[in-house]
Amino acid sequence: MWRNGLLPEALSLGFVVFAFVGLAAAYLVCDRGWRGQARSVEQSATETLARTWAALLASRGDADQAPGELLGECVRGVPYLRRVQWTAPDGSIAFEWPRPLALVVGLAERPASGTSATGPAPLVATAAVSAPGGANLGLLTVEREMPAADGRTFLLITWGAAAGFVLFAFAVFHQRLRRHLRPAAAIEHSLTSYAAGIEKELLTLTLSDSLGAAARGWNQLIEQLAAMQREQETGRAGDATGNVLARFENAVFRRVLDRLPFGVLCITPEQRVSYANGAAATLLGRSLNEMVHRPVSMAIHNPAVQQGIAGVQAGSGSGMSVDQSTGQGDQETTLRFRVLPAPAPPAGGDAVVTVEDISQLRESQRARDNFLYHVTHELRTPLTNIHAYAETLTQPGFDDEQTRKECYNVLISETRRLSRLVEDILSISQLEVGTARLDVGEVELARLVRQMVQDSLGTADEKKIDLTLSLPPKLPKIKGDKQRLSVLLNNLIGNAVKYTPENGKVHVSVELEGQRILISVRDTGIGIAPEAQPHVFEKFYRAADDAVQMLPGTGLGLALAREVARLHGGDILLESERGKGSTFTVELPNSAAAAAEVPER
Amino acid sequence: MSRILVAEDDPHILRLISMWLQREGHVVFEARNGLAARDLVRAEPVDILVSDINMPGMDGLALIESVIGEGCVRRGVIVLTNRWDHAEIRDRLADWGVTVLPKPFSPSRLSEVVESLAAGRPTTARMAPPPVSERGAC
Repeated sequence: MWRNGLLPEALSLGFVVFAFVGLAAAYLVCDRGWRGQARSVEQSATETLARTWAALLASRGDADQAPGELLGECVRGVPYLRRVQWTAPDGSIAFEWPRPLALVVGLAERPASGTSATGPAPLVATAAVSAPGGANLGLLTVEREMPAADGRTFLLITWGAAAGFVLFAFAVFHQRLRRHLRPAAAIEHSLTSYAAGIEKELLTLTLSDSLGAAARGWNQLIEQLAAMQREQETGRAGDATGNVLARFENAVFRRVLDRLPFGVLCITPEQRVSYANGAAATLLGRSLNEMVHRPVSMAIHNPAVQQGIAGVQAGSGSGMSVDQSTGQGDQETTLRFRVLPAPAPPAGGDAVVTVEDISQLRESQRARDNFLYHVTHELRTPLTNIHAYAETLTQPGFDDEQTRKECYNVLISETRRLSRLVEDILSISQLEVGTARLDVGEVELARLVRQMVQDSLGTADEKKIDLTLSLPPKLPKIKGDKQRLSVLLNNLIGNAVKYTPENGKVHVSVELEGQRILISVRDTGIGIAPEAQPHVFEKFYRAADDAVQMLPGTGLGLALAREVARLHGGDILLESERGKGSTFTVELPNSAAAAAEVPER
Repeated sequence: MSRILVAEDDPHILRLISMWLQREGHVVFEARNGLAARDLVRAEPVDILVSDINMPGMDGLALIESVIGEGCVRRGVIVLTNRWDHAEIRDRLADWGVTVLPKPFSPSRLSEVVESLAAGRPTTARMAPPPVSERGAC
């Protein structure tokens, strides 16, 4: 099995052994070579010595001095000399050094000779002693010891230096190897500790070097392993009950929890997260690895929630709920944390935290409050008038005919306004919620549009507005809700007349365009500012323009008109230029043309 | 007899308040929005201001803060509003001692408050003396 952790050591050891074996071999080879060479040098020196002394003996053969004495003088002080022997031609020994009698003394003088048995073989050279006349005077044998190995010091120094260099190179090499293989070693270590149960989690690597890719792979592996571990823990919990069914249920519950649309976290009494589902990770903006098996403060930053968890675990409370908002305006997100006790006998003390995104709920509550605010505001105006004018009629000071008539007129018009308002609010609510049902029948569009224009003629005349209508010669009957379509037309024509100053023009036209019927209401009124145009179809929206604010209105008419158009499968388009006028165009599908193309069965 | 300015954008309510106050013998000035009201009161100070809050142009709160600050209203201010937040309005105008009547209101109740202000009797609200330095604005 490949064990990453030992790789640097093995490689380093191999390197060192290899280097030392090489060095030792080199040393042996060198030593051998050197020894061979030294021997031959010494041998030739010995031979030279023998020849020289032989020549000396031959030349002094006739001298007064005995040849033995001459030789005795010569050999004195010559290093490493072991034995000198002159053998006469008749075989007798003419001279021998050291003298046999002085052998014991000589031994004492030359302790090196005592080791000759174990040391290298002695160097032996022989030379014939020949008189100048050619007479044979015998044979001279010189025996020398091989000198002590002085030259080896140099070799040893060289070898030592080489070994030192090898060790240094090894140190550098080892260092580099370790650095490159450290992640591998770290992984090895992490795995070993994890397997032995010393560490609860595997090491997460953070590397930017060439091993970064390996680190990523490794990290992915731990993520998968952590998931498997969690899976296993659930299984283990099942084991504890010793019940196969419980294990099965645990796995099912786990899958259910993992897929819940809101976050669930389990907190141990040690304030650590023991479980978190995917929704919790998404809502809290952290990965599961960043939360599971870590302190709860890493997952939830809200101190109130942390206190709640501690409280629930201490048994002081049946749970609590905390809302936490982040961001501003449209970016605002509100999370609702609920802390619940989850006692697990016998020690108990787990807590469950659920996390929900209630931003949409908040938003719809706000919209509802806003709607109610506008509705009550709009209702109060006619109510105030009705209340005040009715009270006026009961007062003694206002009993003249003209005042009474004025009061009655206001009461009638305001009551009408109130009921229209209530109807509008009801309609728009129904249309928006989708509970409204169109009362679909055949509608003679030409007649309907003509009637709506006629209804507005009175108001137009008061303002001297030129209200005109153009209809195509033949307009088909369409399928639709006559009542609601009349509300739509009335709102558009009514607005045009209302927001057009005196002596202006309002033109209503109907056109057939293929599959569509276009009803346009064009006015020369005050127009709508570009920034207000996207909002005019919103409920209760009224442009922040004095010219608009001075005129009565609820801001419901256009919202209602567009809902009606859309329910009929059409829409309303707006073109407007401030100060020049507006054109509202209602697009309705030509149901007659559609019916003609698809014949009824 | 007092000089009273009524600032109200709804024509029916404006007409009704005028009728009631004229019957009591007061001189009534009418304004359909805040800016018109401020111009009127700056031209000639009044004794009492009756004002709506939601009005086009300048709203009632801005009008009241402006004209009281300038010392153009001598005896008192009555606010008529159908806004939900009367308490907030009352708090905001507390320094000026303003009477708030929520809509729908009773014209006879309004009449009572006007009479007590005109007579200088303490009402639910008291008029703060305008800063001397700003009196000259009217």
